[in-house]
Amino acid sequence: MASWERGLSEPARRTVTDPLGRDQDPFADFRRVMLLELEQRFRYRHSLGKTSRFFLALEEGVLLGSRCLACGGVWLPPRALCPDDLTITSWQELPGTGRLMSWTGCSRAPSYADTGGAPYLLAYVALEGASTLFLHRLRGVDEGELEPGMPVRVAFSRGPVGHPLERFWFEPA
Amino acid sequence: MAERARTRGDRGLTDVVVLGVGLSRFSHDRLDGSIRDWVVEAVTAALEDGGLERDRLDLSVMAYESDHLAGQLGQGIIWHDSVGLAPRPTVRVEGGGATGGLAIRSALAQLRAGFGGCALVVGAERVGKSVSSATATELFAMSSDTDWELPVGGHFTAYYAMIMREHMRRYGTTEEQMAQVSVKNHGNARFHPLAQKPMALTVEEVMASPVIASPYKLLDCSLLSDGAAALVLATREWARRNAHSFADRPVIRLVGSGVATDRPRPGDRPWGAFAGFAAKRRAAEMAYAMAGVEEPRKELDVAEIYDSYTGAELMAYEALGLCEPGESGEMSDLGVFELGGELPINPSGGLLGFGAAAGATGIAQAAEIVTQLRGEADPRRQVEGAQLGLTDSHAGTATICAVHIFEREG
Repeated sequence: MASWERGLSEPARRTVTDPLGRDQDPFADFRRVMLLELEQRFRYRHSLGKTSRFFLALEEGVLLGSRCLACGGVWLPPRALCPDDLTITSWQELPGTGRLMSWTGCSRAPSYADTGGAPYLLAYVALEGASTLFLHRLRGVDEGELEPGMPVRVAFSRGPVGHPLERFWFEPA
Repeated sequence: MAERARTRGDRGLTDVVVLGVGLSRFSHDRLDGSIRDWVVEAVTAALEDGGLERDRLDLSVMAYESDHLAGQLGQGIIWHDSVGLAPRPTVRVEGGGATGGLAIRSALAQLRAGFGGCALVVGAERVGKSVSSATATELFAMSSDTDWELPVGGHFTAYYAMIMREHMRRYGTTEEQMAQVSVKNHGNARFHPLAQKPMALTVEEVMASPVIASPYKLLDCSLLSDGAAALVLATREWARRNAHSFADRPVIRLVGSGVATDRPRPGDRPWGAFAGFAAKRRAAEMAYAMAGVEEPRKELDVAEIYDSYTGAELMAYEALGLCEPGESGEMSDLGVFELGGELPINPSGGLLGFGAAAGATGIAQAAEIVTQLRGEADPRRQVEGAQLGLTDSHAGTATICAVHIFEREG
Protein backbone atom coordinates (compact mmCIF):
# COMPACT_ATOMS: atom_id res chain seq x y z
CA MET A 1 0.00 0.00 0.00
CA ALA A 2 1.45 3.29 -1.15
CA SER A 3 0.65 5.34 1.92
CA TRP A 4 2.64 8.39 2.87
CA GLU A 5 2.42 7.07 6.40
CA ARG A 6 4.37 8.53 9.26
CA GLY A 7 2.52 6.96 12.16
CA LEU A 8 0.61 8.70 14.91
CA SER A 9 2.99 11.01 16.69
CA GLU A 10 1.32 14.32 17.44
CA PRO A 11 -2.03 15.94 16.75
CA ALA A 12 -2.51 17.21 13.20
CA ARG A 13 -1.48 20.83 12.89
CA ARG A 14 -3.58 23.28 10.94
CA THR A 15 -3.56 22.40 7.27
CA VAL A 16 -2.73 25.91 6.14
CA THR A 17 -0.31 27.96 8.21
CA ASP A 18 0.24 31.72 8.21
CA PRO A 19 3.71 32.60 9.49
CA LEU A 20 2.70 36.25 9.86
CA GLY A 21 -0.21 35.33 12.12
CA ARG A 22 -2.83 37.52 10.42
CA ASP A 23 -5.63 36.33 12.69
CA GLN A 24 -8.45 38.44 11.27
CA ASP A 25 -7.95 37.38 7.65
CA PRO A 26 -4.86 35.34 6.76
CA PHE A 27 -5.51 36.05 3.07
CA ALA A 28 -5.88 39.81 3.60
CA ASP A 29 -3.10 40.56 1.11
CA PHE A 30 -4.88 38.49 -1.57
CA ARG A 31 -8.34 40.03 -1.49
CA ARG A 32 -8.13 42.40 -4.46
CA VAL A 33 -9.74 40.71 -7.44
CA MET A 34 -9.22 41.45 -11.12
CA LEU A 35 -11.92 40.42 -13.58
CA LEU A 36 -11.38 39.71 -17.27
CA GLU A 37 -13.85 39.28 -20.12
CA LEU A 38 -12.62 36.35 -22.19
CA GLU A 39 -14.16 35.09 -25.39
CA GLN A 40 -13.99 31.70 -27.08
CA ARG A 41 -15.29 31.04 -30.59
CA PHE A 42 -15.48 27.61 -32.11
CA ARG A 43 -16.75 26.31 -35.42
CA TYR A 44 -17.23 22.59 -35.67
CA ARG A 45 -17.13 20.58 -38.90
CA HIS A 46 -19.69 18.06 -37.78
CA SER A 47 -20.68 14.87 -39.58
CA LEU A 48 -24.18 13.50 -39.14
CA GLY A 49 -22.62 10.14 -39.94
CA LYS A 50 -24.81 7.13 -40.67
CA THR A 51 -27.96 9.13 -39.86
CA SER A 52 -27.25 11.57 -42.71
CA ARG A 53 -29.78 9.92 -45.03
CA PHE A 54 -32.56 10.96 -42.63
CA PHE A 55 -31.57 14.60 -43.08
CA LEU A 56 -31.11 14.26 -46.83
CA ALA A 57 -34.61 12.72 -47.13
CA LEU A 58 -36.08 15.72 -45.29
CA GLU A 59 -35.03 17.82 -48.27
CA GLU A 60 -37.45 15.68 -50.35
CA GLY A 61 -40.19 16.05 -47.74
CA VAL A 62 -39.79 12.44 -46.63
CA LEU A 63 -39.60 11.24 -43.03
CA LEU A 64 -37.49 8.12 -42.47
CA GLY A 65 -37.20 5.84 -39.47
CA SER A 66 -34.94 2.82 -39.14
CA ARG A 67 -36.45 -0.63 -38.64
CA CYS A 68 -34.69 -3.42 -36.83
CA LEU A 69 -35.58 -6.68 -38.51
CA ALA A 70 -34.67 -8.58 -35.34
CA CYS A 71 -37.03 -6.86 -32.90
CA GLY A 72 -39.36 -5.15 -35.37
CA GLY A 73 -38.89 -1.82 -33.64
CA VAL A 74 -38.61 1.40 -35.64
CA TRP A 75 -36.15 3.93 -34.27
CA LEU A 76 -36.81 7.64 -34.69
CA PRO A 77 -34.30 9.29 -34.33
CA PRO A 78 -32.93 6.57 -36.58
CA ARG A 79 -29.99 4.38 -35.65
CA ALA A 80 -27.88 2.43 -38.14
CA LEU A 81 -27.44 -0.24 -35.49
CA CYS A 82 -30.31 -1.33 -33.24
CA PRO A 83 -28.75 -0.90 -29.78
CA ASP A 84 -30.92 -3.67 -28.35
CA ASP A 85 -30.16 -6.37 -30.91
CA LEU A 86 -26.89 -5.08 -32.40
CA THR A 87 -28.55 -5.66 -35.76
CA ILE A 88 -28.13 -3.37 -38.78
CA THR A 89 -31.43 -1.61 -39.46
CA SER A 90 -33.32 -0.81 -42.69
CA TRP A 91 -34.67 2.62 -43.66
CA GLN A 92 -38.44 2.91 -43.58
CA GLU A 93 -40.62 5.77 -44.73
CA LEU A 94 -43.12 6.99 -42.14
CA PRO A 95 -46.46 8.68 -42.89
CA GLY A 96 -45.74 11.69 -40.66
CA THR A 97 -48.92 11.53 -38.59
CA GLY A 98 -49.02 10.87 -34.89
CA ARG A 99 -50.33 11.67 -31.43
CA LEU A 100 -49.24 14.30 -28.93
CA MET A 101 -47.81 12.56 -25.83
CA SER A 102 -46.44 15.47 -23.78
CA TRP A 103 -45.56 19.12 -24.28
CA THR A 104 -44.13 22.22 -22.63
CA GLY A 105 -44.41 25.93 -23.30
CA CYS A 106 -40.95 27.54 -23.18
CA SER A 107 -40.83 31.21 -22.25
CA ARG A 108 -37.30 32.05 -23.39
CA ALA A 109 -35.84 31.72 -26.88
CA PRO A 110 -32.59 29.75 -26.81
CA SER A 111 -29.42 31.21 -28.24
CA TYR A 112 -28.53 27.97 -30.04
CA ALA A 113 -31.64 27.16 -32.10
CA ASP A 114 -34.08 29.03 -34.29
CA THR A 115 -37.39 28.62 -32.48
CA GLY A 116 -38.97 31.63 -34.12
CA GLY A 117 -38.62 33.53 -30.86
CA ALA A 118 -40.46 32.89 -27.60
CA PRO A 119 -42.74 31.57 -26.34
CA TYR A 120 -42.49 28.32 -28.26
CA LEU A 121 -43.89 24.85 -27.72
CA LEU A 122 -41.87 21.64 -27.54
CA ALA A 123 -43.58 18.27 -27.80
CA TYR A 124 -42.95 14.54 -27.65
CA VAL A 125 -44.95 12.93 -30.43
CA ALA A 126 -45.64 9.24 -31.04
CA LEU A 127 -45.43 9.06 -34.82
CA GLU A 128 -47.30 6.30 -36.58
CA GLY A 129 -44.94 3.48 -37.41
CA ALA A 130 -42.25 4.57 -34.90
CA SER A 131 -41.52 2.79 -31.63
CA THR A 132 -40.03 5.84 -29.93
CA LEU A 133 -41.18 9.43 -29.32
CA PHE A 134 -39.81 12.27 -31.40
CA LEU A 135 -39.04 15.67 -29.90
CA HIS A 136 -39.74 18.77 -31.97
CA ARG A 137 -41.46 22.11 -31.96
CA LEU A 138 -45.24 22.23 -32.16
CA ARG A 139 -46.57 25.19 -34.14
CA GLY A 140 -49.90 26.63 -35.19
CA VAL A 141 -51.67 26.04 -31.87
CA ASP A 142 -51.92 27.72 -28.48
CA GLU A 143 -50.78 25.85 -25.40
CA GLY A 144 -54.23 26.15 -23.84
CA GLU A 145 -55.79 24.13 -26.69
CA LEU A 146 -53.52 21.11 -26.25
CA GLU A 147 -54.87 17.75 -25.10
CA PRO A 148 -52.93 14.53 -24.49
CA GLY A 149 -53.31 12.17 -27.45
CA MET A 150 -54.47 14.86 -29.89
CA PRO A 151 -53.57 14.13 -33.52
CA VAL A 152 -50.64 16.00 -35.01
CA ARG A 153 -48.71 15.79 -38.26
CA VAL A 154 -45.33 16.67 -39.65
CA ALA A 155 -45.18 19.88 -41.68
CA PHE A 156 -42.25 20.69 -44.00
CA SER A 157 -40.78 24.06 -44.88
CA ARG A 158 -39.42 24.93 -48.31
CA GLY A 159 -37.27 27.91 -47.48
CA PRO A 160 -33.64 27.95 -46.41
CA VAL A 161 -32.94 26.56 -42.94
CA GLY A 162 -30.01 26.77 -40.56
CA HIS A 163 -30.01 23.24 -39.16
CA PRO A 164 -31.58 20.48 -41.29
CA LEU A 165 -33.96 19.54 -38.43
CA GLU A 166 -35.62 22.91 -38.95
CA ARG A 167 -36.89 21.52 -42.28
CA PHE A 168 -39.93 20.22 -40.40
CA TRP A 169 -42.02 20.64 -37.24
CA PHE A 170 -45.31 19.37 -35.79
CA GLU A 171 -48.71 21.01 -36.14
CA PRO A 172 -52.26 19.93 -35.31
CA ALA A 173 -53.63 17.43 -37.86
CA MET B 1 -29.98 -1.02 15.33
CA ALA B 2 -26.34 -0.99 16.42
CA GLU B 3 -26.14 -4.77 16.21
CA ARG B 4 -27.40 -4.75 12.68
CA ALA B 5 -25.09 -1.86 11.86
CA ARG B 6 -21.99 -4.02 12.17
CA THR B 7 -23.16 -6.27 9.38
CA ARG B 8 -24.30 -3.64 6.87
CA GLY B 9 -22.38 -3.79 3.64
CA ASP B 10 -20.23 -6.56 5.09
CA ARG B 11 -19.67 -8.98 2.26
CA GLY B 12 -16.00 -9.51 2.83
CA LEU B 13 -15.23 -6.14 1.23
CA THR B 14 -12.80 -3.64 2.74
CA ASP B 15 -14.64 -1.41 5.19
CA VAL B 16 -14.53 2.25 4.06
CA VAL B 17 -15.24 5.20 6.35
CA VAL B 18 -15.65 8.95 5.89
CA LEU B 19 -12.96 10.79 7.83
CA GLY B 20 -13.61 14.39 6.88
CA VAL B 21 -15.99 16.65 4.99
CA GLY B 22 -15.51 20.21 3.81
CA LEU B 23 -17.56 22.78 1.93
CA SER B 24 -16.80 26.15 0.46
CA ARG B 25 -19.48 28.80 0.64
CA PHE B 26 -22.01 28.41 -2.20
CA SER B 27 -22.99 31.57 -4.01
CA HIS B 28 -24.55 32.82 -7.21
CA ASP B 29 -21.35 34.66 -8.12
CA ARG B 30 -18.24 34.23 -6.00
CA LEU B 31 -15.73 36.84 -6.98
CA ASP B 32 -13.68 36.66 -3.78
CA GLY B 33 -11.59 33.94 -5.36
CA SER B 34 -11.37 31.61 -8.33
CA ILE B 35 -12.54 28.00 -8.51
CA ARG B 36 -9.01 26.97 -7.47
CA ASP B 37 -9.38 29.03 -4.30
CA TRP B 38 -12.73 27.40 -3.43
CA VAL B 39 -11.14 23.98 -3.92
CA VAL B 40 -8.45 24.95 -1.41
CA GLU B 41 -11.17 26.12 1.01
CA ALA B 42 -13.08 22.83 0.77
CA VAL B 43 -9.99 20.61 0.94
CA THR B 44 -8.59 22.51 3.92
CA ALA B 45 -11.92 22.21 5.71
CA ALA B 46 -12.13 18.47 4.99
CA LEU B 47 -8.58 17.76 6.19
CA GLU B 48 -9.07 19.74 9.39
CA ASP B 49 -12.45 18.12 9.93
CA GLY B 50 -10.79 14.72 9.62
CA GLY B 51 -7.79 15.61 11.77
CA LEU B 52 -5.52 14.72 8.87
CA GLU B 53 -2.36 16.16 7.39
CA ARG B 54 -2.18 16.66 3.66
CA ASP B 55 0.90 14.44 3.41
CA ARG B 56 -1.10 11.42 4.52
CA LEU B 57 -3.37 11.41 1.46
CA ASP B 58 -2.68 8.62 -1.04
CA LEU B 59 -4.69 9.72 -4.08
CA SER B 60 -7.35 12.11 -5.29
CA VAL B 61 -10.51 11.89 -7.39
CA MET B 62 -11.54 15.18 -9.00
CA ALA B 63 -15.12 15.87 -10.04
CA TYR B 64 -16.38 18.55 -12.41
CA GLU B 65 -18.90 18.47 -15.21
CA SER B 66 -17.93 21.11 -17.73
CA ASP B 67 -14.57 22.16 -19.07
CA HIS B 68 -16.27 25.11 -20.73
CA LEU B 69 -17.98 26.73 -17.74
CA ALA B 70 -14.58 27.49 -16.22
CA GLY B 71 -12.88 27.95 -19.59
CA GLN B 72 -10.21 25.52 -18.46
CA LEU B 73 -9.74 21.94 -19.55
CA GLY B 74 -7.85 19.55 -17.32
CA GLN B 75 -8.87 21.22 -14.08
CA GLY B 76 -8.40 18.02 -12.09
CA ILE B 77 -4.63 18.11 -12.09
CA ILE B 78 -4.62 21.85 -11.42
CA TRP B 79 -6.71 21.35 -8.28
CA HIS B 80 -4.56 18.34 -7.30
CA ASP B 81 -1.46 20.53 -7.62
CA SER B 82 -3.03 23.49 -5.80
CA VAL B 83 -2.86 21.51 -2.55
CA GLY B 84 0.47 19.91 -3.41
CA LEU B 85 -0.67 16.37 -4.09
CA ALA B 86 1.73 15.55 -6.93
CA PRO B 87 3.23 12.94 -7.44
CA ARG B 88 0.25 10.98 -6.13
CA PRO B 89 -2.32 9.50 -8.55
CA THR B 90 -5.40 11.46 -9.59
CA VAL B 91 -8.31 10.93 -11.94
CA ARG B 92 -11.00 13.27 -13.19
CA VAL B 93 -14.54 11.88 -13.15
CA GLU B 94 -17.47 13.25 -15.19
CA GLY B 95 -21.09 12.22 -15.30
CA GLY B 96 -23.27 15.35 -15.45
CA GLY B 97 -25.16 15.94 -12.21
CA ALA B 98 -24.02 12.52 -10.98
CA THR B 99 -20.36 13.56 -11.25
CA GLY B 100 -19.83 13.90 -7.49
CA GLY B 101 -21.60 10.62 -6.76
CA LEU B 102 -19.51 8.83 -9.38
CA ALA B 103 -16.35 10.32 -7.86
CA ILE B 104 -17.25 8.89 -4.44
CA ARG B 105 -17.81 5.51 -6.07
CA SER B 106 -14.45 5.76 -7.85
CA ALA B 107 -12.70 6.48 -4.56
CA LEU B 108 -14.53 3.58 -2.89
CA ALA B 109 -13.42 1.25 -5.69
CA GLN B 110 -9.79 2.43 -5.53
CA LEU B 111 -9.64 1.97 -1.76
CA ARG B 112 -11.19 -1.49 -2.04
CA ALA B 113 -8.70 -2.34 -4.79
CA GLY B 114 -5.87 -1.49 -2.42
CA PHE B 115 -4.59 1.46 -4.45
CA GLY B 116 -4.22 3.42 -1.23
CA GLY B 117 -5.51 3.77 2.30
CA CYS B 118 -6.88 7.30 2.12
CA ALA B 119 -8.53 9.16 -0.78
CA LEU B 120 -9.45 12.80 -1.26
CA VAL B 121 -12.60 13.41 -3.30
CA VAL B 122 -13.12 16.97 -4.53
CA GLY B 123 -15.93 18.43 -6.62
CA ALA B 124 -16.34 22.01 -7.81
CA GLU B 125 -18.00 24.03 -10.52
CA ARG B 126 -18.19 27.65 -11.55
CA VAL B 127 -21.78 27.87 -12.75
CA GLY B 128 -22.88 31.16 -11.24
CA LYS B 129 -22.08 34.03 -13.55
CA SER B 130 -19.02 32.70 -15.31
CA VAL B 131 -21.04 32.93 -18.51
CA SER B 132 -24.44 34.53 -19.16
CA SER B 133 -27.43 32.45 -18.06
CA ALA B 134 -28.27 31.94 -21.76
CA THR B 135 -24.81 30.50 -22.35
CA ALA B 136 -25.07 28.38 -19.18
CA THR B 137 -28.37 27.00 -20.49
CA GLU B 138 -26.67 26.23 -23.80
CA LEU B 139 -23.66 24.56 -22.20
CA PHE B 140 -25.90 22.32 -20.09
CA ALA B 141 -28.23 21.71 -23.06
CA MET B 142 -25.16 20.49 -24.95
CA SER B 143 -25.13 17.51 -22.61
CA SER B 144 -28.39 16.47 -24.26
CA ASP B 145 -28.22 15.17 -27.83
CA THR B 146 -26.70 17.87 -30.06
CA ASP B 147 -27.84 16.07 -33.23
CA TRP B 148 -31.48 15.63 -32.22
CA GLU B 149 -32.49 17.61 -29.13
CA LEU B 150 -30.47 20.82 -29.21
CA PRO B 151 -31.35 21.94 -32.79
CA VAL B 152 -35.11 21.98 -32.05
CA GLY B 153 -34.62 24.26 -29.03
CA GLY B 154 -34.46 21.52 -26.40
CA HIS B 155 -33.09 22.16 -22.92
CA PHE B 156 -33.25 20.38 -19.59
CA THR B 157 -36.05 22.39 -17.99
CA ALA B 158 -38.17 21.45 -21.03
CA TYR B 159 -37.37 17.71 -20.89
CA TYR B 160 -38.08 17.57 -17.16
CA ALA B 161 -41.25 19.59 -17.70
CA MET B 162 -42.60 17.15 -20.30
CA ILE B 163 -41.81 14.17 -18.08
CA MET B 164 -43.60 15.88 -15.19
CA ARG B 165 -46.62 16.77 -17.33
CA GLU B 166 -47.11 13.06 -17.95
CA HIS B 167 -46.66 12.34 -14.22
CA MET B 168 -49.43 14.86 -13.55
CA ARG B 169 -51.70 13.29 -16.18
CA ARG B 170 -51.03 9.76 -15.06
CA TYR B 171 -51.19 10.21 -11.30
CA GLY B 172 -52.98 13.50 -10.67
CA THR B 173 -49.89 15.19 -9.25
CA THR B 174 -50.43 18.96 -8.98
CA GLU B 175 -48.29 22.03 -9.47
CA GLU B 176 -49.05 22.96 -5.84
CA GLN B 177 -47.54 19.66 -4.68
CA MET B 178 -44.43 20.45 -6.70
CA ALA B 179 -44.33 23.96 -5.21
CA GLN B 180 -44.37 22.47 -1.70
CA VAL B 181 -40.95 20.93 -2.43
CA SER B 182 -39.59 24.40 -3.25
CA VAL B 183 -41.05 25.81 -0.03
CA LYS B 184 -39.53 22.93 1.97
CA ASN B 185 -36.03 23.08 0.47
CA HIS B 186 -35.66 26.86 0.40
CA GLY B 187 -36.94 26.82 3.99
CA ASN B 188 -34.44 24.17 5.11
CA ALA B 189 -31.63 26.28 3.60
CA ARG B 190 -32.35 28.92 6.27
CA PHE B 191 -30.65 26.61 8.75
CA HIS B 192 -27.44 26.11 6.75
CA PRO B 193 -24.87 28.91 7.13
CA LEU B 194 -23.25 28.21 3.72
CA ALA B 195 -26.50 28.03 1.73
CA GLN B 196 -27.00 30.21 -1.31
CA LYS B 197 -30.73 30.89 -1.24
CA PRO B 198 -32.43 30.54 2.13
CA MET B 199 -36.04 31.71 1.74
CA ALA B 200 -39.28 31.59 3.68
CA LEU B 201 -41.63 30.99 0.74
CA THR B 202 -45.30 30.18 0.35
CA VAL B 203 -46.81 27.83 -2.24
CA GLU B 204 -48.56 30.88 -3.71
CA GLU B 205 -45.23 32.66 -4.23
CA VAL B 206 -43.75 29.65 -6.03
CA MET B 207 -46.88 29.38 -8.18
CA ALA B 208 -46.65 33.08 -9.04
CA SER B 209 -43.01 32.96 -10.15
CA PRO B 210 -42.44 33.27 -13.91
CA VAL B 211 -42.94 30.21 -16.10
CA ILE B 212 -39.71 28.85 -17.59
CA ALA B 213 -41.09 25.73 -19.30
CA SER B 214 -44.63 24.85 -18.28
CA PRO B 215 -45.46 23.48 -15.76
CA TYR B 216 -42.08 24.53 -14.32
CA LYS B 217 -41.70 28.02 -12.92
CA LEU B 218 -38.57 29.81 -11.77
CA LEU B 219 -38.90 28.73 -8.14
CA ASP B 220 -39.32 25.07 -9.20
CA CYS B 221 -35.83 25.15 -10.71
CA SER B 222 -32.53 24.54 -8.94
CA LEU B 223 -29.87 27.22 -8.58
CA LEU B 224 -26.78 28.01 -10.62
CA SER B 225 -23.94 28.07 -8.11
CA ASP B 226 -20.27 28.60 -7.56
CA GLY B 227 -18.94 26.19 -4.98
CA ALA B 228 -16.70 23.33 -3.98
CA ALA B 229 -17.00 20.30 -1.71
CA ALA B 230 -14.48 17.77 -0.44
CA LEU B 231 -14.58 14.41 1.27
CA VAL B 232 -11.83 12.27 2.74
CA LEU B 233 -12.49 8.53 2.56
CA ALA B 234 -10.24 5.88 4.11
CA THR B 235 -10.20 2.22 4.80
CA ARG B 236 -11.16 1.52 8.37
CA GLU B 237 -7.77 -0.01 9.08
CA TRP B 238 -5.91 3.01 7.70
CA ALA B 239 -8.17 5.40 9.64
CA ARG B 240 -7.60 3.54 12.89
CA ARG B 241 -3.83 3.87 12.51
CA ASN B 242 -3.54 7.32 10.95
CA ALA B 243 -6.45 9.63 11.73
CA HIS B 244 -6.01 11.58 14.94
CA SER B 245 -9.70 12.01 15.62
CA PHE B 246 -10.89 8.58 14.53
CA ALA B 247 -11.26 7.12 18.01
CA ASP B 248 -12.99 10.21 19.40
CA ARG B 249 -15.81 10.65 16.93
CA PRO B 250 -18.70 8.59 15.62
CA VAL B 251 -17.56 6.23 12.86
CA ILE B 252 -19.36 6.97 9.58
CA ARG B 253 -19.20 4.05 7.16
CA LEU B 254 -19.94 4.10 3.44
CA VAL B 255 -22.09 0.98 3.32
CA GLY B 256 -23.86 1.12 -0.03
CA SER B 257 -23.15 2.29 -3.57
CA GLY B 258 -25.29 1.86 -6.67
CA VAL B 259 -25.03 3.28 -10.18
CA ALA B 260 -27.41 2.63 -13.07
CA THR B 261 -28.19 4.19 -16.44
CA ASP B 262 -31.08 4.88 -18.78
CA ARG B 263 -31.43 5.90 -22.42
CA PRO B 264 -30.33 9.54 -22.55
CA ARG B 265 -33.16 10.77 -24.82
CA PRO B 266 -36.42 10.54 -22.84
CA GLY B 267 -38.26 9.85 -26.11
CA ASP B 268 -36.34 6.58 -26.48
CA ARG B 269 -37.59 5.26 -23.14
CA PRO B 270 -40.63 2.96 -22.99
CA TRP B 271 -43.80 5.04 -22.56
CA GLY B 272 -44.72 3.05 -19.48
CA ALA B 273 -41.48 4.19 -17.82
CA PHE B 274 -41.58 7.77 -19.17
CA ALA B 275 -42.88 9.28 -15.92
CA GLY B 276 -40.58 7.28 -13.65
CA PHE B 277 -36.85 7.30 -13.06
CA ALA B 278 -36.10 3.66 -13.90
CA ALA B 279 -32.32 4.00 -13.58
CA LYS B 280 -32.68 5.66 -10.18
CA ARG B 281 -34.80 2.75 -8.99
CA ARG B 282 -32.15 0.29 -10.16
CA ALA B 283 -29.26 2.29 -8.61
CA ALA B 284 -31.14 2.47 -5.31
CA GLU B 285 -31.83 -1.26 -5.34
CA MET B 286 -28.11 -1.91 -5.86
CA ALA B 287 -27.17 0.38 -2.98
CA TYR B 288 -29.88 -1.05 -0.70
CA ALA B 289 -28.74 -4.60 -1.46
CA MET B 290 -25.13 -3.72 -0.64
CA ALA B 291 -26.16 -1.99 2.58
CA GLY B 292 -28.73 -4.59 3.61
CA VAL B 293 -31.60 -2.09 3.53
CA GLU B 294 -34.93 -3.84 3.07
CA GLU B 295 -37.48 -1.16 3.95
CA PRO B 296 -35.85 2.13 2.98
CA ARG B 297 -38.59 4.43 4.27
CA LYS B 298 -38.47 2.79 7.70
CA GLU B 299 -34.73 2.25 7.93
CA LEU B 300 -33.40 5.53 6.53
CA ASP B 301 -33.32 8.50 8.88
CA VAL B 302 -32.29 11.27 6.49
CA ALA B 303 -31.61 11.73 2.76
CA GLU B 304 -30.19 14.27 0.35
CA ILE B 305 -31.80 13.71 -3.03
CA TYR B 306 -31.40 15.33 -6.41
CA ASP B 307 -33.92 18.17 -6.57
CA SER B 308 -32.81 19.66 -9.88
CA TYR B 309 -36.53 20.45 -10.23
CA THR B 310 -39.29 20.14 -7.67
CA GLY B 311 -40.97 17.37 -9.66
CA ALA B 312 -37.67 15.51 -9.93
CA GLU B 313 -37.62 15.32 -6.13
CA LEU B 314 -41.18 13.96 -6.12
CA MET B 315 -40.28 11.35 -8.73
CA ALA B 316 -37.19 10.43 -6.72
CA TYR B 317 -39.36 9.58 -3.67
CA GLU B 318 -40.98 6.93 -5.87
CA ALA B 319 -37.82 5.66 -7.57
CA LEU B 320 -35.96 5.37 -4.26
CA GLY B 321 -38.77 3.21 -2.90
CA LEU B 322 -39.86 5.76 -0.30
CA CYS B 323 -43.44 5.55 -1.59
CA GLU B 324 -45.36 3.80 -4.37
CA PRO B 325 -45.31 5.15 -7.95
CA GLY B 326 -47.77 8.04 -8.17
CA GLU B 327 -47.92 8.64 -4.42
CA SER B 328 -45.23 11.30 -4.16
CA GLY B 329 -47.59 14.27 -4.41
CA GLU B 330 -49.66 12.93 -1.55
CA MET B 331 -46.49 12.34 0.52
CA SER B 332 -45.62 15.98 -0.06
CA ASP B 333 -49.12 17.04 1.13
CA LEU B 334 -48.63 14.98 4.29
CA GLY B 335 -45.22 16.52 5.06
CA VAL B 336 -43.60 13.09 5.36
CA PHE B 337 -40.25 14.39 4.08
CA GLU B 338 -40.11 17.73 5.93
CA LEU B 339 -37.84 18.50 8.87
CA GLY B 340 -39.64 16.98 11.83
CA GLY B 341 -41.45 14.54 9.52
CA GLU B 342 -41.02 10.81 9.21
CA LEU B 343 -37.95 10.97 6.92
CA PRO B 344 -36.47 14.46 6.40
CA ILE B 345 -35.22 14.96 2.84
CA ASN B 346 -32.80 17.67 1.78
CA PRO B 347 -32.25 19.18 5.23
CA SER B 348 -29.37 21.19 3.67
CA GLY B 349 -31.79 22.90 1.31
CA GLY B 350 -30.77 20.75 -1.64
CA LEU B 351 -30.06 22.07 -5.11
CA LEU B 352 -33.04 24.41 -4.78
CA GLY B 353 -32.00 26.15 -1.57
CA PHE B 354 -28.42 25.23 -0.71
CA GLY B 355 -26.99 25.41 -4.22
CA ALA B 356 -26.17 23.49 -7.37
CA ALA B 357 -22.55 23.49 -8.48
CA ALA B 358 -22.70 20.43 -10.73
CA GLY B 359 -19.45 18.65 -9.91
CA ALA B 360 -19.72 19.51 -6.21
CA THR B 361 -23.31 18.37 -5.78
CA GLY B 362 -22.94 14.67 -4.96
CA ILE B 363 -20.06 15.45 -2.61
CA ALA B 364 -21.89 18.29 -0.87
CA GLN B 365 -24.80 15.88 -0.35
CA ALA B 366 -22.43 13.41 1.31
CA ALA B 367 -21.03 16.22 3.48
CA GLU B 368 -24.54 16.99 4.72
CA ILE B 369 -25.37 13.35 5.44
CA VAL B 370 -22.10 12.81 7.33
CA THR B 371 -22.74 15.99 9.33
CA GLN B 372 -26.26 14.76 10.13
CA LEU B 373 -25.09 11.28 11.15
CA ARG B 374 -22.47 12.76 13.46
CA GLY B 375 -25.16 14.92 15.03
CA GLU B 376 -23.19 18.06 14.17
CA ALA B 377 -25.75 19.96 12.05
CA ASP B 378 -27.37 23.21 13.16
CA PRO B 379 -29.99 22.08 15.71
CA ARG B 380 -32.72 23.63 13.57
CA ARG B 381 -32.01 21.16 10.76
CA GLN B 382 -30.44 18.28 12.72
CA VAL B 383 -32.40 15.04 12.42
CA GLU B 384 -32.41 13.68 15.95
CA GLY B 385 -30.50 10.42 16.36
CA ALA B 386 -29.91 9.88 12.63
CA GLN B 387 -28.11 6.56 12.04
CA LEU B 388 -28.62 5.82 8.34
CA GLY B 389 -28.56 8.33 5.47
CA LEU B 390 -28.78 8.31 1.68
CA THR B 391 -27.45 10.51 -1.13
CA ASP B 392 -28.88 10.50 -4.64
CA SER B 393 -27.67 12.43 -7.66
CA HIS B 394 -28.17 12.03 -11.37
CA ALA B 395 -27.10 13.22 -14.79
CA GLY B 396 -29.49 14.28 -17.53
CA THR B 397 -33.10 13.29 -16.84
CA ALA B 398 -32.06 10.54 -14.39
CA THR B 399 -29.86 9.11 -17.13
CA ILE B 400 -26.85 8.23 -14.96
CA CYS B 401 -27.90 7.74 -11.35
CA ALA B 402 -25.63 7.39 -8.31
CA VAL B 403 -26.98 6.39 -4.90
CA HIS B 404 -24.90 6.03 -1.74
CA ILE B 405 -25.74 4.97 1.79
CA PHE B 406 -23.85 6.09 4.87
CA GLU B 407 -24.19 4.70 8.34
CA ARG B 408 -23.22 5.87 11.78
CA GLU B 409 -21.84 3.02 13.79
CA GLY B 410 -23.09 2.62 17.33
